[in-house]
Amino acid sequence: MPDEPIIEIRQLTKTYRVYQKPEGLWASVRGLVRRRYREVRAVRGIDLTVEKGEFVAFLGPNGAGKTTTLKLLSGVISPTSGTARVMGYIPWKRENAYRRRFALVMGQKNQLWWDLPAQESFRLHRHIYGLDEAAFESARDELTELLGVRHLLQQPVRELSLGERMKMELIAALLHRPEVLFLDEPTIGLDVVAQHNIQEFLREYQRSRGITILLTSHYMKDVSALCQRLVIIASGGIHYDGSLSGIIDTFSKHKIVTLLFAEGSFPHAAERVLAPYGEVKEVQPPRIKLRVERTKVAETLSALLARYSLDDVSVEDLPLEDVIAQVFEHVDHQEEARVG
Amino acid sequence: MANLWRVYLRVFLTFAANSLVRDMSFRANFLIQCISSTSWAVMNLGFYLIIFVHVDEIGPQTGWGKYEFFVFLGTTWIVNSLVQTLFMPNMHEFSELIRTGNLDFALLKPIDTQFLISFQRIEWSSLANALLGVVVVAVGMHQLMTRPEHPLPLSAVTIALYLFYILCGVTILYSLMISLASTSIWLGRNQTLYDFWFYITNFSRYPMEMYRHGWGVVLWGFFTFVVPVLLVINIPARVLARPLYPDPSVAWPLAAFTLVATVGSLIVSRAIFCRAIGSYRSASS
Repeated sequence: MPDEPIIEIRQLTKTYRVYQKPEGLWASVRGLVRRRYREVRAVRGIDLTVEKGEFVAFLGPNGAGKTTTLKLLSGVISPTSGTARVMGYIPWKRENAYRRRFALVMGQKNQLWWDLPAQESFRLHRHIYGLDEAAFESARDELTELLGVRHLLQQPVRELSLGERMKMELIAALLHRPEVLFLDEPTIGLDVVAQHNIQEFLREYQRSRGITILLTSHYMKDVSALCQRLVIIASGGIHYDGSLSGIIDTFSKHKIVTLLFAEGSFPHAAERVLAPYGEVKEVQPPRIKLRVERTKVAETLSALLARYSLDDVSVEDLPLEDVIAQVFEHVDHQEEARVG
Repeated sequence: MANLWRVYLRVFLTFAANSLVRDMSFRANFLIQCISSTSWAVMNLGFYLIIFVHVDEIGPQTGWGKYEFFVFLGTTWIVNSLVQTLFMPNMHEFSELIRTGNLDFALLKPIDTQFLISFQRIEWSSLANALLGVVVVAVGMHQLMTRPEHPLPLSAVTIALYLFYILCGVTILYSLMISLASTSIWLGRNQTLYDFWFYITNFSRYPMEMYRHGWGVVLWGFFTFVVPVLLVINIPARVLARPLYPDPSVAWPLAAFTLVATVGSLIVSRAIFCRAIGSYRSASS
């Protein structure tokens, strides 16, 4: 019998009722008596299946429902309708057996005691999760070693940098060796080096332990560095679910062709002359970037090579950011069409 | 089962130790808090000493003379200080956790959420008043036990009962507090917690004989049977100081009822807490 999927979500929906605060004093007074509410459908009937050992990224604009989905899966909030099972548990029942086996890390919130060294918070976790001393110490030592923060264990959390604090948060979440890890924007606000460190760590840790990770992020770097599978959420629904390369095939109809002209052969009025071959994106003699329809790349290239003397040619996919932005725009248009 | 108890005890002790470490790292703040709360208590005592210059007892034929009242006052301090040490900062924090969405973390832990949010912080500096309370109770009791007429007897059983009813009092106040704090989940914000707390507990600070006449009886009924704050200090203080009223025929049923009220408050507050947590909606990421 094949293994059950580790996460199974069916028609999961979460609707919030939000108080609409009217403008002006008189309207506010009236609002005391009769309140107007608006229904916000944060998550609209999501279906998703995740197998053990997958590293899945949730990508989407602000307010798309990514965080809400993670909160539902962690049992922090209950859904309006639909079902979800993680390792066979219904998350919002908040069973201790379930809570021992997963962790949630939120980049925007911290759970460590602010005025105490991280070590003290770790010790508290040890008791809450009922870990024995040996297991606790080996997990702590391994994690602090991997993240290079061993020397900071004694320092009060408030005196750590944002990056160091995030690493401590990760350690706190992993001490009990969760099998499923939910990461909500773990690299938000971090500098490039810290981001990179955390990505490296997550990749290594996920690979060696074979745990299942769901990650939300705004940073394409996180996603392209870590995840084999990408789920695009916008307006509370899933708009793409597949591999990273697949998204480019599906949504990107263009490629970027960079031409490096040989000395003396750079065309005059390059923008006008090259326009028939594709959209000129950038002119930096002797280099020119063109946006060419995917299906016409071969044909365009042979025409260009026949006509100009070129030192180098490269063909690349559109940057992932651009592709995703296109997808989001696409979703927005669909929404407008539906509402309108 | 024994293992479970050990987990909770360990977590509690870790909370206590962490809080102490934290308090100690802000030494000046710690000392100022101790001094300000004890000086408030001493002024309070001075105020009652002035009253007893004018009268011999609070209310005629109640038996609440100066030293009986010392016992009552000391008990008030002990109970309030225990509540402030253990629960006040936590309940305030609970409201904040709800408003900021940080309750998320408490809900993730494989341990009872109510336990976790009730004991997270212990404000050691508030314990100073309890020590002062013990001194005042001891002085009062010494005077009562050595008075020439009807010296008051004191047995180990009495002391045990006294401690037990203090525990009941603290439990009742805790239940009330967590019920109030839980409402923040529906209100989004509950800054009136402290105010409301003060209004209600104000009624617990005086002997219940105050409410013996006229419409006071209505208050007595309400704060005994509906919101049982009147039992919190009155019952333990009575066990020790034994004023005249109520006579034994009423005293024992009242003591028994206190047990019911304690268990009842805990059950009701637990139900309110669970409902509140069920409708928690977290805050924006």
